[in-house]
Amino acid sequence: MDAAPTISTQALTRRFGELIAVDNVDLRVAPGQFFGFLGPNGAGKSTTIKMLTGLLAPSSGRIEILGLDLEKNPVEVKRQIGVVPEGMALFGRLTGSEFLNFAGRMYGLDRVTAARRASELLDFMQLADQPKKLVTDYSHGMQKKLAMAAAVIHGPKVLFLDEPFEGVDAIAAGTLKSMLQGMITRGATIFLTSHVLEIVERLCSHVAIIHQGRLVAQGSLEELRAGVQAQTARVSGNVSGVGSVDSSAPSGEKMTLEEIFLRTVGGSRQSEQELSWLG
Amino acid sequence: MAGVSMSSNVHRRSQLSAIAWLRWRLFCNSLRTTRGQMELVSRIVVSLAFTLLGLGGATGMAIGAYYFVSSGKPEMLALLLWPVFVFWQGFPIMATAFTNNPDSSELLHFPLTYRSYFLVRLAYGSFDPATALGSFWSFAILLGVSIARPELLPWTALVLLLFAAFNILFMQMLFAWVERWLAQRRTREIMGVLFVLLILSFQLIAPLTQHFEKKPQPGFRRFVEILQPAQSILPPGLAAHAIAQVVQSQFMAGFGSLLLLTAFAVVIGYFLHVRLAAQYRGENLSEAGARTVYEKDRRFRLGWNLPGFSQSVAAVFEKEVRYLSRSGPMLLTLIMPIFVIVVFRLGPMSSARHSGVFLGRMPNMAFPAAAAYSLLVLTNFAYNNLGGDAAGIQFFFASPARFSEIVLAKNLTHACILVLEVAFSWIAVTFLYGPPALSITIASLVGLLFAAPVNFTAGNLLSIYSPKKLDYSTFGRQRASQTTVLLSLLVQIVVVGVGVAVFLIARSYGSFWIAALIFLILAAISSTGYVLVLRRLDRIALDRRETLVAELCRA
Repeated sequence: MDAAPTISTQALTRRFGELIAVDNVDLRVAPGQFFGFLGPNGAGKSTTIKMLTGLLAPSSGRIEILGLDLEKNPVEVKRQIGVVPEGMALFGRLTGSEFLNFAGRMYGLDRVTAARRASELLDFMQLADQPKKLVTDYSHGMQKKLAMAAAVIHGPKVLFLDEPFEGVDAIAAGTLKSMLQGMITRGATIFLTSHVLEIVERLCSHVAIIHQGRLVAQGSLEELRAGVQAQTARVSGNVSGVGSVDSSAPSGEKMTLEEIFLRTVGGSRQSEQELSWLG
Repeated sequence: MAGVSMSSNVHRRSQLSAIAWLRWRLFCNSLRTTRGQMELVSRIVVSLAFTLLGLGGATGMAIGAYYFVSSGKPEMLALLLWPVFVFWQGFPIMATAFTNNPDSSELLHFPLTYRSYFLVRLAYGSFDPATALGSFWSFAILLGVSIARPELLPWTALVLLLFAAFNILFMQMLFAWVERWLAQRRTREIMGVLFVLLILSFQLIAPLTQHFEKKPQPGFRRFVEILQPAQSILPPGLAAHAIAQVVQSQFMAGFGSLLLLTAFAVVIGYFLHVRLAAQYRGENLSEAGARTVYEKDRRFRLGWNLPGFSQSVAAVFEKEVRYLSRSGPMLLTLIMPIFVIVVFRLGPMSSARHSGVFLGRMPNMAFPAAAAYSLLVLTNFAYNNLGGDAAGIQFFFASPARFSEIVLAKNLTHACILVLEVAFSWIAVTFLYGPPALSITIASLVGLLFAAPVNFTAGNLLSIYSPKKLDYSTFGRQRASQTTVLLSLLVQIVVVGVGVAVFLIARSYGSFWIAALIFLILAAISSTGYVLVLRRLDRIALDRRETLVAELCRA
């Protein structure tokens, strides 16, 4: 990675009492990357994204966004990033248009620009046909689209998305994906967490996997694939005298992200663990 | 279903015991938090108060029932049964303030038969203070009647048992239907407004009673004459008649009254069944209204502009005003000062000119009192000014806006409300008590310049240190945290104490301009304190962001 990273962390750590939720994480996300941040439930994804966006203070370590230290320049960093956090951060008793206007002005846009972009975004997100409806009355998918619109209204250089496709229908997901692809084409950097590995595989060029608070893999999809295959080959080679341990090891076929993920975090379940009384 | 082979009766018993266990575990787990423990302590205190109320009421009921039956006026038992009925039905609505029963819909995920579901709902309704006290008082009436005429025990027991069953069914029916209306935001808001109007109308009972007591009201007497036979065909009246007619050896008439009471219970039970059956079938009312498609509005609307303030301040100010204008409950809170002035003028005040009540002796203090009350009403907003933002708090922290600007905008909104309130109060006082003297008006306004910054400073700090999520669309059970309540009370005592002391000093010197001068000095001090704290808010909020986000984003 030659270019100066858009997002970088050094020894990023977050403790909650005795629990170390994020443990010495060193992330590097280059400009223009569509970066997927994966991990099992409770691995530390949301904690990391909250620290990267200033919603949570790290216990130790350093965060740089666009070359700026987040601790020292929080306002300057926030001006250049967009965030869709876990709870979507919406104001329920405003209409969609009022909320986007509000969001634009909070990010420093003048009144006219905020109003024009709010109108364009509502059109793009297909939310313009119910102008009097309060955000609290929106469906989950509509709220997700609105949160996304608010996160991009100021044209951020970096976009952080926590589970952006959760609870979103196929049509809305398509709209969001096309918007995100467009941003990448225009040079923005996107950092997203998702449990839907197919979407991450299709959208993201680079991926990091966090497990029990530690970063266990990071790189392009090809690099991750090669790494897992090499590891599997090593294990197979070591035990060749006593037979193969992993009968489902890839044999020339391209590994999916789900396979990479499961092998990395050790998520395979032995057959004897199955619940025999089911079905 | 493999492994599920219980008979339906055993299955039902197993489910009901599982639900009882669930309630118990929910209670135990709630004690893990300090808030839960505080809740338990307050429940114990309330239960003790209820026990005293119950014992006092029961004694009265028993004595009354004994007296009515032994003195040959058994039909007067209606005078005891009506209060029992009103309490039984009215108290749960007042106490729970329109909150849904969280368990009922969740239980439907399980294979519960309709009969079990119906029973569970009835059982939930039977374990509440109103039912406990209502049953206790009914028992006291039974005791009084039985002591007076022991042979009436079985019949009275039957009648009162039916009366209790009717009350339980009626209360559950009311709740089931109210729950249905509250399931949607708009109807919930309408119900909330009606509820507050009902509470406010209670304030007018005393003035109206005084009004009717002053001179003979033939119309009112006529109204009572019409009401008497009407009450006798309603359940409390029917229960009283069923007992009274048997006392007078009119057994058929007594039996007829009992049958009518049974019919009422059956009809109410049917309405309850209609509602519960709909819930059981999977009725799921959405928060959202029907989709209304409007023609797309291609014009874009500009946000508000606040000259002299940044875009962020103007944006938050606009947001606050929009929130407030869409909250029926909050708007109603704001009319309270005017309402209180009217109540004081029509009620105790009108006769107090001769009795020595504060405003009766010093009507020129009406405006300062109204101004102070206007500020007091703002406590709800100022001391938990982030509560209504809920998950939106994350947006504030993610945006580049400074926290001090956000809080400043909120304070500006509250200051504007205060100005409006005070202006309306001045007009109301002028109409009801005569125009306040210029010196008093100026002293009161400068007094607010001292008191408002003190309240805003304390409010800003408590909003960050002790936040509590609020839903602007609902009433009840939305108290601020205990810490906020106690500290805000302390601040108010100090501020009001200082205000009263300043007015007393000025009064002793015979000029309220002295009060204006003292308040001006105090205002300069409090405003400086406000600015100093505001400047530190960015750091304080950043340090407290985790608690804020955790508390306000909780489901």
